Amino acid sequence: MELLDSYLRAVKRYLPRAQSSDIIKELSDDLRSQLEEKETAAGCPLTDEEIAAFLKQHGDPMTVARRYRQDSPSLTIGWELIGPELFPMYLILLSINLVITIAALTIVSLSMRAQITWQTFTLPVIIQIFCVTLAFMAMNVVKRKFPQPWYYPPAEMAAMMQIKRGYSISGLILWSPVLLWWLALPRFPSLILGSAAAHLVLAPSWHNFYVPILLLVLASISQRVLNLFYPDWTWLLPVMRLLINAASVPVLYFLLFKSQPLVLVAAAFQGVPQYEKLAEAVNGSLVWGVFGPWLWGYAGISALVYAWYCLPHLRRLLRGKAGASSATVSQSPEK
Amino acid sequence: MPPGNDNHELFENLRLELRRGSLILAVLVMLRVEHYGYTLRKALADHGMPIDEGTLYPLLRRLETQGLLVSEWREEDKRNKRFYRLSAEGKAILKPLLAEWQGINTSLNGIL
Repeated sequence: MELLDSYLRAVKRYLPRAQSSDIIKELSDDLRSQLEEKETAAGCPLTDEEIAAFLKQHGDPMTVARRYRQDSPSLTIGWELIGPELFPMYLILLSINLVITIAALTIVSLSMRAQITWQTFTLPVIIQIFCVTLAFMAMNVVKRKFPQPWYYPPAEMAAMMQIKRGYSISGLILWSPVLLWWLALPRFPSLILGSAAAHLVLAPSWHNFYVPILLLVLASISQRVLNLFYPDWTWLLPVMRLLINAASVPVLYFLLFKSQPLVLVAAAFQGVPQYEKLAEAVNGSLVWGVFGPWLWGYAGISALVYAWYCLPHLRRLLRGKAGASSATVSQSPEK
Repeated sequence: MPPGNDNHELFENLRLELRRGSLILAVLVMLRVEHYGYTLRKALADHGMPIDEGTLYPLLRRLETQGLLVSEWREEDKRNKRFYRLSAEGKAILKPLLAEWQGINTSLNGIL
Protein backbone atom coordinates (compact mmCIF):
# COMPACT_ATOMS: atom_id res chain seq x y z
CA MET A 1 0.00 0.00 0.00
CA GLU A 2 2.99 2.28 -0.57
CA LEU A 3 1.07 4.09 -3.31
CA LEU A 4 -1.91 4.71 -1.07
CA ASP A 5 0.31 6.10 1.71
CA SER A 6 2.00 8.39 -0.78
CA TYR A 7 -1.39 9.55 -2.08
CA LEU A 8 -2.65 10.23 1.45
CA ARG A 9 0.49 12.21 2.27
CA ALA A 10 -0.17 14.35 -0.82
CA VAL A 11 -3.80 14.96 0.25
CA LYS A 12 -2.64 15.85 3.77
CA ARG A 13 -0.43 18.65 2.44
CA TYR A 14 -3.51 20.64 1.38
CA LEU A 15 -5.75 19.93 4.39
CA PRO A 16 -6.42 22.30 7.29
CA ARG A 17 -3.59 21.44 9.69
CA ALA A 18 -5.75 21.16 12.81
CA GLN A 19 -7.89 18.40 11.28
CA SER A 20 -5.51 16.85 8.78
CA SER A 21 -4.52 13.74 10.83
CA ASP A 22 -8.13 13.00 11.69
CA ILE A 23 -9.31 13.38 8.09
CA ILE A 24 -6.45 11.27 6.74
CA LYS A 25 -7.15 8.46 9.24
CA GLU A 26 -10.77 8.34 8.13
CA LEU A 27 -10.01 8.65 4.41
CA SER A 28 -7.29 6.01 4.72
CA ASP A 29 -9.73 3.55 6.30
CA ASP A 30 -12.29 4.16 3.56
CA LEU A 31 -9.83 3.78 0.70
CA ARG A 32 -8.28 0.66 2.25
CA SER A 33 -11.74 -0.85 2.65
CA GLN A 34 -12.51 -0.14 -1.00
CA LEU A 35 -9.21 -1.64 -2.13
CA GLU A 36 -9.78 -4.72 0.01
CA GLU A 37 -13.23 -5.11 -1.51
CA LYS A 38 -11.69 -4.93 -4.99
CA GLU A 39 -9.06 -7.52 -4.00
CA THR A 40 -11.76 -9.84 -2.68
CA ALA A 41 -13.71 -9.44 -5.92
CA ALA A 42 -10.58 -10.04 -8.02
CA GLY A 43 -9.45 -12.95 -5.85
CA CYS A 44 -5.84 -11.74 -5.85
CA PRO A 45 -3.82 -8.75 -4.62
CA LEU A 46 -4.11 -5.64 -6.77
CA THR A 47 -1.12 -4.61 -8.84
CA ASP A 48 0.48 -1.16 -8.43
CA GLU A 49 -1.02 -0.18 -11.80
CA GLU A 50 -4.53 -1.09 -10.59
CA ILE A 51 -4.05 0.82 -7.33
CA ALA A 52 -2.73 3.84 -9.26
CA ALA A 53 -5.77 3.72 -11.58
CA PHE A 54 -8.09 3.56 -8.56
CA LEU A 55 -6.39 6.55 -6.91
CA LYS A 56 -6.43 8.51 -10.15
CA GLN A 57 -10.15 7.90 -10.41
CA HIS A 58 -10.58 9.00 -6.80
CA GLY A 59 -9.27 12.44 -7.73
CA ASP A 60 -6.09 14.43 -7.58
CA PRO A 61 -4.93 15.13 -4.01
CA MET A 62 -5.59 18.86 -4.15
CA THR A 63 -9.18 18.46 -5.37
CA VAL A 64 -9.87 15.86 -2.68
CA ALA A 65 -8.48 18.15 0.02
CA ARG A 66 -10.41 21.10 -1.36
CA ARG A 67 -13.72 19.42 -0.46
CA TYR A 68 -12.74 19.61 3.20
CA ARG A 69 -11.96 23.31 2.90
CA GLN A 70 -15.29 24.60 1.62
CA ASP A 71 -15.68 26.90 4.64
CA SER A 72 -12.01 27.94 4.79
CA PRO A 73 -11.02 31.49 3.83
CA SER A 74 -10.15 32.27 0.22
CA LEU A 75 -9.58 35.36 -1.88
CA THR A 76 -12.79 35.88 -3.81
CA ILE A 77 -13.94 39.05 -5.50
CA GLY A 78 -16.99 38.02 -7.50
CA TRP A 79 -15.10 34.92 -8.60
CA GLU A 80 -12.42 32.86 -6.90
CA LEU A 81 -8.95 34.41 -7.26
CA ILE A 82 -7.08 32.21 -4.76
CA GLY A 83 -8.76 28.99 -3.63
CA PRO A 84 -9.03 27.87 0.01
CA GLU A 85 -6.32 25.21 -0.39
CA LEU A 86 -3.75 27.78 -1.57
CA PHE A 87 -4.87 30.65 0.63
CA PRO A 88 -2.94 29.66 3.81
CA MET A 89 0.26 29.24 1.75
CA TYR A 90 -0.43 32.62 0.10
CA LEU A 91 -0.76 34.35 3.48
CA ILE A 92 2.45 32.76 4.81
CA LEU A 93 4.52 33.68 1.74
CA LEU A 94 3.08 37.19 1.58
CA SER A 95 3.86 37.75 5.27
CA ILE A 96 7.44 36.50 4.84
CA ASN A 97 7.92 38.73 1.79
CA LEU A 98 6.55 41.78 3.56
CA VAL A 99 8.65 41.22 6.69
CA ILE A 100 11.82 40.81 4.59
CA THR A 101 10.96 43.89 2.47
CA ILE A 102 10.26 46.10 5.48
CA ALA A 103 13.36 44.85 7.34
CA ALA A 104 15.61 45.36 4.29
CA LEU A 105 14.24 48.86 3.65
CA THR A 106 14.68 49.80 7.31
CA ILE A 107 18.28 48.53 7.37
CA VAL A 108 19.15 50.32 4.09
CA SER A 109 17.51 53.56 5.25
CA LEU A 110 19.28 53.43 8.62
CA SER A 111 22.65 52.68 7.04
CA MET A 112 22.19 55.60 4.63
CA ARG A 113 20.94 57.77 7.49
CA ALA A 114 17.85 58.56 5.45
CA GLN A 115 14.61 59.59 7.09
CA ILE A 116 12.13 56.71 7.47
CA THR A 117 8.55 57.65 6.57
CA TRP A 118 5.46 55.78 5.44
CA GLN A 119 6.40 56.62 1.85
CA THR A 120 9.60 54.58 2.25
CA PHE A 121 7.53 51.41 2.51
CA THR A 122 4.31 52.12 0.58
CA LEU A 123 5.42 51.43 -3.00
CA PRO A 124 7.64 48.36 -2.27
CA VAL A 125 4.89 46.84 -0.10
CA ILE A 126 2.24 47.41 -2.80
CA ILE A 127 4.57 45.85 -5.41
CA GLN A 128 5.15 42.81 -3.16
CA ILE A 129 1.43 42.33 -2.53
CA PHE A 130 0.69 42.72 -6.25
CA CYS A 131 3.40 40.25 -7.37
CA VAL A 132 2.67 37.54 -4.78
CA THR A 133 -1.10 37.81 -5.36
CA LEU A 134 -0.64 37.64 -9.13
CA ALA A 135 1.64 34.58 -8.83
CA PHE A 136 -0.90 32.76 -6.64
CA MET A 137 -3.80 33.74 -8.92
CA ALA A 138 -1.89 32.21 -11.84
CA MET A 139 -1.17 29.08 -9.79
CA ASN A 140 -4.86 28.87 -8.87
CA VAL A 141 -5.92 29.03 -12.53
CA VAL A 142 -3.36 26.40 -13.57
CA LYS A 143 -4.44 24.08 -10.74
CA ARG A 144 -8.10 24.40 -11.73
CA LYS A 145 -7.45 23.88 -15.45
CA PHE A 146 -5.00 20.99 -14.98
CA PRO A 147 -6.30 19.09 -11.96
CA GLN A 148 -3.82 16.23 -12.36
CA PRO A 149 -1.06 16.19 -9.78
CA TRP A 150 1.46 18.06 -11.91
CA TYR A 151 2.84 20.14 -9.07
CA TYR A 152 4.71 18.02 -6.55
CA PRO A 153 3.04 14.76 -7.63
CA PRO A 154 3.56 12.12 -4.97
CA ALA A 155 6.83 10.46 -5.97
CA GLU A 156 5.30 6.97 -5.94
CA MET A 157 2.49 8.06 -8.24
CA ALA A 158 4.81 9.98 -10.55
CA ALA A 159 6.75 6.75 -10.94
CA MET A 160 3.59 5.06 -12.20
CA MET A 161 2.37 7.70 -14.62
CA GLN A 162 3.30 7.55 -18.28
CA ILE A 163 5.31 10.54 -19.46
CA LYS A 164 2.97 12.54 -21.63
CA ARG A 165 4.17 12.95 -25.22
CA GLY A 166 3.16 16.62 -25.09
CA TYR A 167 5.54 17.08 -22.17
CA SER A 168 8.44 15.56 -24.14
CA ILE A 169 7.57 17.60 -27.25
CA SER A 170 7.41 20.87 -25.30
CA GLY A 171 10.85 20.04 -23.85
CA LEU A 172 12.21 19.42 -27.34
CA ILE A 173 10.73 22.70 -28.59
CA LEU A 174 12.50 24.48 -25.74
CA TRP A 175 15.87 22.71 -25.91
CA SER A 176 16.38 22.33 -29.68
CA PRO A 177 16.97 26.07 -30.27
CA VAL A 178 19.33 26.05 -27.24
CA LEU A 179 21.32 23.22 -28.84
CA LEU A 180 21.45 24.99 -32.23
CA TRP A 181 22.52 28.21 -30.52
CA TRP A 182 25.26 26.42 -28.60
CA LEU A 183 26.49 24.58 -31.73
CA ALA A 184 26.64 27.85 -33.68
CA LEU A 185 28.51 29.78 -30.97
CA PRO A 186 32.13 28.84 -31.92
CA ARG A 187 31.50 29.99 -35.50
CA PHE A 188 29.32 32.97 -34.62
CA PRO A 189 30.47 34.38 -31.24
CA SER A 190 28.24 37.39 -31.79
CA LEU A 191 25.33 35.11 -30.77
CA ILE A 192 26.54 35.50 -27.20
CA LEU A 193 28.83 38.54 -27.34
CA GLY A 194 26.55 40.72 -29.46
CA SER A 195 28.28 43.72 -31.05
CA ALA A 196 31.25 43.23 -28.68
CA ALA A 197 32.25 40.23 -30.87
CA ALA A 198 33.96 42.72 -33.19
CA HIS A 199 36.57 43.42 -30.49
CA LEU A 200 36.53 40.31 -28.30
CA VAL A 201 37.27 36.60 -28.81
CA LEU A 202 36.26 33.50 -26.87
CA ALA A 203 39.14 32.55 -24.56
CA PRO A 204 40.69 29.04 -24.30
CA SER A 205 38.96 28.58 -20.92
CA TRP A 206 35.62 28.96 -22.74
CA HIS A 207 36.47 25.94 -24.87
CA ASN A 208 37.13 23.89 -21.70
CA PHE A 209 33.47 24.28 -20.78
CA TYR A 210 32.07 24.09 -24.30
CA VAL A 211 32.07 20.29 -24.68
CA PRO A 212 30.76 19.44 -21.16
CA ILE A 213 27.87 21.89 -21.58
CA LEU A 214 27.19 20.55 -25.10
CA LEU A 215 27.05 16.99 -23.69
CA LEU A 216 24.62 18.09 -20.95
CA VAL A 217 22.30 19.73 -23.51
CA LEU A 218 22.52 16.64 -25.75
CA ALA A 219 21.71 14.36 -22.80
CA SER A 220 18.71 16.52 -21.95
CA ILE A 221 17.43 16.32 -25.54
CA SER A 222 18.09 12.57 -25.76
CA GLN A 223 15.94 11.94 -22.67
CA ARG A 224 13.04 13.82 -24.28
CA VAL A 225 13.45 12.02 -27.62
CA LEU A 226 13.54 8.61 -25.89
CA ASN A 227 10.50 9.42 -23.72
CA LEU A 228 8.64 10.67 -26.78
CA PHE A 229 8.90 7.18 -28.30
CA TYR A 230 8.89 5.24 -25.01
CA PRO A 231 6.55 7.09 -22.61
CA ASP A 232 6.51 3.97 -20.41
CA TRP A 233 10.17 4.47 -19.48
CA THR A 234 9.13 6.54 -16.50
CA TRP A 235 12.46 5.93 -14.75
CA LEU A 236 14.41 7.62 -17.54
CA LEU A 237 13.20 11.14 -16.78
CA PRO A 238 14.22 11.33 -13.10
CA VAL A 239 17.41 9.31 -13.59
CA MET A 240 18.67 11.36 -16.56
CA ARG A 241 17.73 14.66 -14.96
CA LEU A 242 19.40 13.67 -11.72
CA LEU A 243 22.58 12.86 -13.67
CA ILE A 244 22.39 16.02 -15.81
CA ASN A 245 21.77 18.34 -12.87
CA ALA A 246 24.32 16.61 -10.64
CA ALA A 247 26.93 16.90 -13.42
CA SER A 248 26.00 20.56 -14.00
CA VAL A 249 26.86 21.47 -10.40
CA PRO A 250 30.67 20.90 -10.64
CA VAL A 251 30.79 22.20 -14.25
CA LEU A 252 29.11 25.46 -13.24
CA TYR A 253 31.14 25.65 -10.03
CA PHE A 254 34.43 25.60 -11.96
CA LEU A 255 33.00 27.98 -14.56
CA LEU A 256 31.85 30.45 -11.90
CA PHE A 257 34.57 30.33 -9.32
CA LYS A 258 37.69 28.68 -10.72
CA SER A 259 37.90 29.57 -14.37
CA GLN A 260 40.05 32.08 -16.21
CA PRO A 261 38.24 34.84 -18.15
CA LEU A 262 35.87 33.42 -20.76
CA VAL A 263 36.50 36.16 -23.30
CA LEU A 264 39.65 38.11 -24.19
CA VAL A 265 40.34 41.26 -26.19
CA ALA A 266 41.07 40.38 -29.83
CA ALA A 267 44.77 40.59 -30.74
CA ALA A 268 44.26 43.74 -32.82
CA PHE A 269 42.79 45.66 -29.87
CA GLN A 270 44.91 44.40 -27.00
CA GLY A 271 46.13 47.06 -24.61
CA VAL A 272 43.33 49.47 -25.51
CA PRO A 273 41.78 50.36 -22.12
CA GLN A 274 38.28 50.75 -23.59
CA TYR A 275 38.27 47.16 -24.87
CA GLU A 276 39.96 45.78 -21.76
CA LYS A 277 37.05 47.24 -19.76
CA LEU A 278 34.58 45.81 -22.28
CA ALA A 279 36.11 42.33 -21.88
CA GLU A 280 35.87 42.67 -18.09
CA ALA A 281 32.19 43.70 -18.32
CA VAL A 282 31.32 40.85 -20.72
CA ASN A 283 33.12 38.32 -18.49
CA GLY A 284 31.19 39.62 -15.51
CA SER A 285 27.84 39.39 -17.29
CA LEU A 286 28.60 35.84 -18.50
CA VAL A 287 29.78 34.58 -15.12
CA TRP A 288 27.21 36.38 -12.95
CA GLY A 289 24.38 36.63 -15.51
CA VAL A 290 24.06 33.93 -18.19
CA PHE A 291 25.80 31.18 -16.19
CA GLY A 292 25.27 32.91 -12.84
CA PRO A 293 24.89 31.42 -9.37
CA TRP A 294 21.14 31.19 -9.99
CA LEU A 295 21.78 28.46 -12.56
CA TRP A 296 24.17 26.71 -10.20
CA GLY A 297 21.61 26.82 -7.38
CA TYR A 298 18.86 25.68 -9.73
CA ALA A 299 20.93 22.68 -10.85
CA GLY A 300 21.71 21.73 -7.24
CA ILE A 301 18.09 21.95 -6.09
CA SER A 302 16.86 20.10 -9.20
CA ALA A 303 19.38 17.32 -8.57
CA LEU A 304 17.94 16.85 -5.06
CA VAL A 305 14.34 16.91 -6.33
CA TYR A 306 15.07 14.32 -9.03
CA ALA A 307 16.99 12.18 -6.54
CA TRP A 308 13.74 12.09 -4.54
CA TYR A 309 11.83 11.03 -7.66
CA CYS A 310 14.39 8.30 -8.34
CA LEU A 311 13.74 6.67 -4.96
CA PRO A 312 10.47 4.88 -5.88
CA HIS A 313 12.14 3.46 -9.00
CA LEU A 314 15.07 2.28 -6.90
CA ARG A 315 12.70 0.73 -4.36
CA ARG A 316 10.81 -1.08 -7.15
CA LEU A 317 14.08 -2.28 -8.64
CA LEU A 318 15.30 -3.63 -5.28
CA ARG A 319 11.90 -5.21 -4.59
CA GLY A 320 12.00 -6.84 -8.02
CA LYS A 321 15.51 -8.21 -7.37
CA ALA A 322 14.55 -9.42 -3.90
CA GLY A 323 11.44 -11.07 -5.36
CA ALA A 324 13.50 -12.74 -8.09
CA SER A 325 16.14 -14.04 -5.64
CA SER A 326 13.52 -15.33 -3.17
CA ALA A 327 11.74 -17.07 -6.08
CA THR A 328 15.05 -18.69 -7.05
CA VAL A 329 15.63 -19.81 -3.45
CA SER A 330 12.12 -21.23 -3.10
CA GLN A 331 12.42 -23.07 -6.42
CA SER A 332 15.90 -24.52 -5.81
CA PRO A 333 14.91 -27.48 -3.51
CA GLU A 334 12.59 -28.78 -6.23
CA LYS A 335 15.39 -28.94 -8.78
CA MET B 1 -34.82 12.48 -22.73
CA PRO B 2 -31.12 12.58 -21.84
CA PRO B 3 -29.66 16.08 -21.79
CA GLY B 4 -27.63 17.11 -24.86
CA ASN B 5 -23.91 17.75 -24.56
CA ASP B 6 -24.39 21.53 -24.41
CA ASN B 7 -26.79 21.26 -21.51
CA HIS B 8 -24.90 18.49 -19.74
CA GLU B 9 -22.99 20.80 -17.41
CA LEU B 10 -26.12 22.78 -16.56
CA PHE B 11 -28.03 19.56 -15.92
CA GLU B 12 -25.19 18.28 -13.69
CA ASN B 13 -25.24 21.48 -11.63
CA LEU B 14 -29.01 21.35 -11.20
CA ARG B 15 -28.88 17.65 -10.36
CA LEU B 16 -26.20 18.24 -7.72
CA GLU B 17 -28.20 21.09 -6.24
CA LEU B 18 -31.29 18.89 -6.11
CA ARG B 19 -29.34 16.04 -4.51
CA ARG B 20 -27.52 18.17 -1.93
CA GLY B 21 -30.52 18.79 0.33
CA SER B 22 -31.83 15.25 -0.10
CA LEU B 23 -28.44 13.78 0.79
CA ILE B 24 -28.33 15.63 4.09
CA LEU B 25 -31.73 14.24 4.93
CA ALA B 26 -30.74 10.73 3.83
CA VAL B 27 -27.53 10.85 5.92
CA LEU B 28 -29.41 12.05 8.98
CA VAL B 29 -32.00 9.31 8.58
CA MET B 30 -29.37 6.60 8.10
CA LEU B 31 -27.49 7.77 11.17
CA ARG B 32 -30.38 7.00 13.47
CA VAL B 33 -28.34 3.79 13.57
CA GLU B 34 -24.60 4.06 14.19
CA HIS B 35 -22.38 3.74 11.10
CA TYR B 36 -18.82 4.46 10.11
CA GLY B 37 -18.14 6.21 6.81
CA TYR B 38 -17.63 3.19 4.60
CA THR B 39 -20.70 1.26 5.79
CA LEU B 40 -22.81 4.42 5.65
CA ARG B 41 -21.77 4.96 2.06
CA LYS B 42 -22.60 1.36 1.19
CA ALA B 43 -25.96 1.59 2.94
CA LEU B 44 -26.81 4.79 1.06
CA ALA B 45 -25.75 3.20 -2.24
CA ASP B 46 -27.88 0.13 -1.48
CA HIS B 47 -30.86 2.48 -1.08
CA GLY B 48 -30.14 4.12 -4.44
CA MET B 49 -28.33 7.17 -3.05
CA PRO B 50 -24.69 6.67 -4.08
CA ILE B 51 -22.32 9.28 -2.68
CA ASP B 52 -18.57 9.46 -3.09
CA GLU B 53 -16.35 9.69 -0.05
CA GLY B 54 -15.11 13.13 -1.10
CA THR B 55 -18.63 14.43 -0.59
CA LEU B 56 -19.70 12.28 2.35
CA TYR B 57 -16.83 12.91 4.78
CA PRO B 58 -16.84 16.71 4.51
CA LEU B 59 -20.65 16.57 4.92
CA LEU B 60 -20.33 14.41 8.05
CA ARG B 61 -17.84 16.86 9.49
CA ARG B 62 -20.10 19.79 8.76
CA LEU B 63 -23.10 18.09 10.36
CA GLU B 64 -20.99 17.24 13.39
CA THR B 65 -19.79 20.84 13.69
CA GLN B 66 -23.43 21.92 13.55
CA GLY B 67 -24.12 19.59 16.48
CA LEU B 68 -26.43 17.26 14.55
CA LEU B 69 -24.06 14.28 14.78
CA VAL B 70 -21.71 12.83 17.37
CA SER B 71 -18.74 10.64 16.55
CA GLU B 72 -16.19 8.47 18.28
CA TRP B 73 -13.11 6.51 17.19
CA ARG B 74 -13.31 2.79 17.92
CA GLU B 75 -11.40 -0.26 16.81
CA GLU B 76 -13.19 -2.75 14.59
CA ASP B 77 -11.62 -5.50 12.50
CA LYS B 78 -8.17 -4.45 13.82
CA ARG B 79 -8.62 -0.99 12.34
CA ASN B 80 -9.60 2.33 13.93
CA LYS B 81 -12.87 3.62 12.57
CA ARG B 82 -14.85 6.71 13.26
CA PHE B 83 -18.46 5.88 14.13
CA TYR B 84 -21.18 8.48 13.64
CA ARG B 85 -24.71 8.69 15.00
CA LEU B 86 -27.43 11.26 15.35
CA SER B 87 -27.09 13.55 18.39
CA ALA B 88 -30.07 14.53 20.56
CA GLU B 89 -30.18 17.83 18.66
CA GLY B 90 -30.04 15.92 15.37
CA LYS B 91 -32.94 13.71 16.44
CA ALA B 92 -34.97 16.77 17.40
CA ILE B 93 -34.35 18.47 14.06
CA LEU B 94 -34.88 15.38 11.93
CA LYS B 95 -38.57 15.10 12.78
CA PRO B 96 -39.65 18.54 11.42
CA LEU B 97 -37.21 18.16 8.52
CA LEU B 98 -38.88 14.93 7.43
CA ALA B 99 -42.30 16.53 7.76
CA GLU B 100 -41.07 19.43 5.60
CA TRP B 101 -39.70 17.05 2.98
CA GLN B 102 -42.94 15.09 2.89
CA GLY B 103 -44.83 18.36 2.45
CA ILE B 104 -42.60 19.39 -0.46
CA ASN B 105 -42.95 15.94 -1.99
CA THR B 106 -46.75 16.06 -1.79
CA SER B 107 -46.82 19.57 -3.28
CA LEU B 108 -44.49 18.58 -6.11
CA ASN B 109 -46.55 15.52 -6.89
CA GLY B 110 -49.61 17.75 -7.01
CA ILE B 111 -47.89 20.16 -9.41
CA LEU B 112 -46.65 17.33 -11.63
